[in-house]
Amino acid sequence: MSHPATTISSVKLAWALSWAAFWTGFPFKMIVALLLLAAQIHPWEGAGLIALLALSVPIDIWALGLTARTFFLERMGIEVRGPVGIGLWWQGAVLGVATLGVAYYAVGATAAVCQKATAATLELVNKIIPIPVAEQITIELLMWAVPTTIVAIIFLLIGLKLFGWRIKRFAVASGQTSSAGLQERVREWDDWRVPADPILMLVSFTAVVVLLTVAFWVLLPVTTTHRHPDYPPPPTDAVKKKVKPEELLKKTDASLAKAEAVLEMLEKEKAKEKKKPVGPGK
Amino acid sequence: MMPLLQKVYDFVDERIDLKTLEAKMMKEPIKGGSRWAYVFGSVLLFIFIMQAVTGVLLMFYYIPSADHAYASTQFIIHEVDYGWFILSYHFWGSSAMVVMVFAHMSQVFLWGAYKSPREMIWLVGLALFGIVMAFGFTGYLLPWDQRAYWATTVGVEIMDKTPIVGDFMARFLKGGPTPGQMTLSRFFVIHVMVLPGALMGLAGLHLFLFRSAGPAGPFRGTPEELKAKTDFFFPRQVWKDIVAMAAVFLTISSLALIEPVVLLEEAKPDPGDYHPEPEWYFLFLFQLLRWKIFSGELGQFLGATAIPAAFMLLLAALPFIDRGPERNIFKRPIALLSWTVVMIGILVLTVSAIINREFLD
Repeated sequence: MSHPATTISSVKLAWALSWAAFWTGFPFKMIVALLLLAAQIHPWEGAGLIALLALSVPIDIWALGLTARTFFLERMGIEVRGPVGIGLWWQGAVLGVATLGVAYYAVGATAAVCQKATAATLELVNKIIPIPVAEQITIELLMWAVPTTIVAIIFLLIGLKLFGWRIKRFAVASGQTSSAGLQERVREWDDWRVPADPILMLVSFTAVVVLLTVAFWVLLPVTTTHRHPDYPPPPTDAVKKKVKPEELLKKTDASLAKAEAVLEMLEKEKAKEKKKPVGPGK
Repeated sequence: MMPLLQKVYDFVDERIDLKTLEAKMMKEPIKGGSRWAYVFGSVLLFIFIMQAVTGVLLMFYYIPSADHAYASTQFIIHEVDYGWFILSYHFWGSSAMVVMVFAHMSQVFLWGAYKSPREMIWLVGLALFGIVMAFGFTGYLLPWDQRAYWATTVGVEIMDKTPIVGDFMARFLKGGPTPGQMTLSRFFVIHVMVLPGALMGLAGLHLFLFRSAGPAGPFRGTPEELKAKTDFFFPRQVWKDIVAMAAVFLTISSLALIEPVVLLEEAKPDPGDYHPEPEWYFLFLFQLLRWKIFSGELGQFLGATAIPAAFMLLLAALPFIDRGPERNIFKRPIALLSWTVVMIGILVLTVSAIINREFLD
C-alpha cells in the first residue's frame, strides 16, 4: 500500500501549504511593516527591509509548521513529528531563491523579446491598417503580457513541483499514519489552535492590541510629510535662545544705568556751556 | 470585575432576552466548518464602520461649499492633528470597499451560493454593490480639486447619455449647467445622508435574508466530511473574521502612509494641463469608451450605458437563468470561463488606461 503523501499531486500539495502559510503569517508581517511606515522607515529598502526580512523568517517558519501539521493530519491522516516548520522552510527557501532567480531573468527576457516583436509587428500592421491609439495599447499589452504570464506560470509550477516533491519526501520520512477517524483528527488539529485558557488568550490578545495601537500613534507623524507646494511648513527658528529672566533683568538694569549716566553727563556738559562768559565783540 | 460584568449581563438579559439573541448570533451552524472564504461579508461591514467613523471625524472640519471645500480639505491635511492620516485612510478605505465587494461577489458566484433558495440575498447584494460604487462617485468630488471636479464632470456626462432618465439625472446631480455649489451640496448630502442610510437598510436586509436561508456551505466534500466539520459561528469563524479585518486595517493604513492624499489645484472650469479621468475602479470603462467602436452618439450610449446595464441585468437574472443544482465551479465551465474573461478584461483595460496616460501628455 502506498504512503498517503504520495497519492496527492506535488503542485497541489505545495500550493496548499504555501498559500495557507502565506496568509497565516501575513497579518504579523503587516504589523511590522505598518510600525516601520509610521516611524517613516521604508520597509522595502535599507534598514527597514532588513528588519522586515529578519522578522519574517521566524514568522514563516511558525506559519509553515502550523499549516503543514494541519494539512498532513486532516487531509492525509499523517502525524508528523519533530520540527516541521524549519524542516520545510529551509528547503522552500533554497528552492524559492533558485527558482525566483532563474525566473527573474527568464521572465524579464521573455517580456523584452515579446515587447520588441510586438512593436515591430504593430508597426508593420499600422502601415497597412492604421490602428487607433486606445486599441493599439490593449493589443500591444495582450501580445507581450500573455506569453510573459505563461512563462511566469511555468516557473511557478516548476517551483511548486519541486517544493511539493520535497514536502512529500519529508512527510514520508517523518510522518506516521494516524489510526484515528476523520472526526477525531479534525478535533485534534482544532485543539491545537483553540487555546486551553480562552480568557487568558483574550486578555493577552487585547493587551498586545492596545500596546501596538499606542506604539502606532506615538510613531505616526502629527502633520503630513507630503505637503502641498502652496502649503509650506510653518517657519521654525533654527536656534531659539533660552530666556533667563534674572540675567535679562540685570542686563536691562545695567543698560538703563549706563543710559542714565550718559544722560547726566550730557546735561552737565550743556550746563557748563551755558555758564561760559559772553565775548566783548557781541 | 467578573461578578459585576455577570450582574450587568443578567440585568440586560432579563429585559431583552440576551441569551436567545446570543444563541442566534453566535451559535449559527456553519456547514463544513469555518473558512477564510467566508470572511468577505464581515470585512465589508468592518470597512463600512471604519469609513463611517473616519467620515464623521472629517466632517468636523470639512465645509461643503464651493468657496471653502478645497481650503477646508487642505486645512485637514496640513493643520489638523493626524488629519492627513484620517483623510488618507478614508480615501483608501473606499478603494478597499470596492475591492472587497468584487471579492465577495466573486466568492458567491464561484461557490454557486446565489442559487435557490438564496436568490434574494444575491439581488440585495447587487443593490449594495451599486451603493458602494455610488459612494465612491459622490465622495470623489468633495475635496473640490481639479481631479475631483473633472472626474465628476466626466461621470455626469456619461450618465447624461442614458436614454429617458439620463438628462434628468445629470441636471439633478449638477443642479446647473456646470458643476458648482449646487453640485457639491447635492453630492455631499447623497454621500453623508442618503447612501449611508440606504446601505444600512439594505445591509440589514441582506443579513436577515442570509440568516433566514442559512449559509450555502462548501461546494465540495462528502456528507460525512461536511458533518464532521460543521461548527458554530463562534469562535472559529469569528476568529477568522477578526484576523481578516486586522489584515485589511493594516493594509489600508499602510497605503495611507505610503501614498497619502495630496490635492491638485483648486477646481476651476478650465482643465488646463490636467487630463480628466475617473477613479481607478471606473478606468476600465473609461478606456473602453476610448475605442473607436464606441465613438459617436450611438457608440457612447452602447459603451457607457447599454453594455453596463445589460451586464447588471444579466447578473440580476443569473439565479433565475442558472437553475441547475450543481455548485462546484469546476463542473460549471461556462460560469468559470465567464468569470475569468470578465476579470481579465477589467484588468487588461485598467492597465491599458494607465498606459494610455503617457499618450495624453
